[in-house]
Amino acid sequence: MSEATLGPSTSSLVAGQGAIEQAPVIELRDVVKRYRGGVLALDRLDLVIAKREFVAISGPSGCGKSTLLHLIAALDGPTSGTVLVNGHDLTKMHDLSYFRRRDVGLVFQLHNLLPRISVLANVEIVMYGTHLNNRARHQRAKELLEEVDLGGRGNRLPTQLSGGERQRVAIARALANEPGILLADEPTGNLDAESARRIMELFGRVRSDGVTVVMVTHDEALAALADRTDRIEAGRIVSSTRNHSG
Amino acid sequence: MPYLSFALRNLKAKKGRSLGLAAAVAFAVMTVVTLAVTSSGLEESAAAIISIGKADFTIAQKGVSELLSSTIDTGERARIEATPGIQSAVGVLVETEKINAQNPVFIEIGISPNQLKQFGVTIVKGHVYSPTASHQCMLGWRAASNLGLHVGSSFRANGTVNTVTGIYSTGNSFGDDAAMFPLPAIQGYNRVPGIVTLVFVKVKPGYQVSKVEQSINHNMPELTTIRTASQFGRADRNLVYLRAAVTGSTILAVIIGAVIVGNTMLLSVFERTRELGLLRAVGWTRRRIVGLILIEAIALGLIGACIGIGLSFAVSTGLEHLPALTGILHTNFTPMAFWRALYTALGMTLIGSLYPALRAALLIPLRALSYE
Repeated sequence: MSEATLGPSTSSLVAGQGAIEQAPVIELRDVVKRYRGGVLALDRLDLVIAKREFVAISGPSGCGKSTLLHLIAALDGPTSGTVLVNGHDLTKMHDLSYFRRRDVGLVFQLHNLLPRISVLANVEIVMYGTHLNNRARHQRAKELLEEVDLGGRGNRLPTQLSGGERQRVAIARALANEPGILLADEPTGNLDAESARRIMELFGRVRSDGVTVVMVTHDEALAALADRTDRIEAGRIVSSTRNHSG
Repeated sequence: MPYLSFALRNLKAKKGRSLGLAAAVAFAVMTVVTLAVTSSGLEESAAAIISIGKADFTIAQKGVSELLSSTIDTGERARIEATPGIQSAVGVLVETEKINAQNPVFIEIGISPNQLKQFGVTIVKGHVYSPTASHQCMLGWRAASNLGLHVGSSFRANGTVNTVTGIYSTGNSFGDDAAMFPLPAIQGYNRVPGIVTLVFVKVKPGYQVSKVEQSINHNMPELTTIRTASQFGRADRNLVYLRAAVTGSTILAVIIGAVIVGNTMLLSVFERTRELGLLRAVGWTRRRIVGLILIEAIALGLIGACIGIGLSFAVSTGLEHLPALTGILHTNFTPMAFWRALYTALGMTLIGSLYPALRAALLIPLRALSYE
């Protein structure tokens, strides 16, 4: 997918909306991730992402992009090195559930919505265990769906939505607990150009609301829409390109 | 969507499986509750026999296989009567006999006419039999009504024809559904001269019943005192074995039910691996995941308990009306039966779902998300 297919206005949707703060919100130091069987996914990787930054992680398949995202989301741990997110050293945290719920929002390539409950309920379920009661959770889920332009579809099942709409529900779900960081793993990988454009537009709006966005993509054109593109090859960051001034 | 609704939605989504599992729990509950109410009915019948005499306590032979096998001889009766604090000690011989198909265990009580008042008997029609008569009897008003007999009728029992001299009332349904005979006559019919089955004791005013009981239990270790249904096991070993069988079958039902529930819930967890992985990935705690599975199990247990109680009621009523069991099997639905249903059902579902719940909670989110 090239930038041209997304339309000429796409870059303006995500670029230059609000200054990047310099305080690092994500910091990986000398991180090594080796899977069972000896496969080296990340090789002494260092990465710093500032607050409100929109960073695209790009690279070929199998280079370690998703592994990197999983480490930041506390879905996996490094073999060695340090992963600091919002000042928490994830390698030393015992209960990662609270961190996953409050600090990061996750968007998967295949959206991972629960098929047998409504779209609204899909957004609500991540808010269980927060201070919100049933009514407040319901209200917030409705507001979030409105924010992603799906206000009238809350009662539908995910199977009754298009791929792009499902992905927008997944973004609403990821933002439900007001995380400071939104992590997206190939969020447009299965979408057509128009749907991908709307997702990128949404990320731009999220970022301008003060959320740090980290998006993994193998699509260079999409990556160029972020503030910065870090390219990974063979488990190491080989280049870091600032796409436009913040 | 409230958390509870979310937790219960899987039961609705998999209706067939949920119903199957609830049915398995219900059958186990039905078995346990039916046994319990039958056993309770037997205990109630036994307790009713000792309550006929309206005594402070009853004395029986210790450790007999069943209460009516108890034998107390004249020497022991004399020692009971000599115990300080005893106001009256009424010795009765209790036997059962099949009168007809509707009365397979008809109760016959041998008692001296001069002790009827102490035994709480009131003559409502006719008169008392003579102390040494060999072919006379009295009928409780229920028995007379059920058998269609009245004063002057002939009543065939103990292999002889007896003239009904009177109709009595004890205020106790078991006592009123029985017949009374002169004690020597019924001892003779059963070839147990001088023997009684039970002694019904009243304590003199000013004496503590428990102290008098202690004294008898201490001085006559071959006998035992019974005041409540729960003390029945001291005399009636069959009831003890029956209680043990009920407890054993409850434990067995819980174990078998737990295995069935565990298998099904484990299958359900396998099927929902991706979903559970996602929930962990978006920040659900392990405790919340365990809660999700246990709520489902508790709901199944409650449904199973309700169906099981209904089935048990239907089955035990049906058993009571079987020709072979009419008049023998009495069921007694007490609040305890409902508690038993509840803890059996909840026990098997909670124990059974514990391992699946822990397995679900310990899923590694990333691995679960890539589960096919």
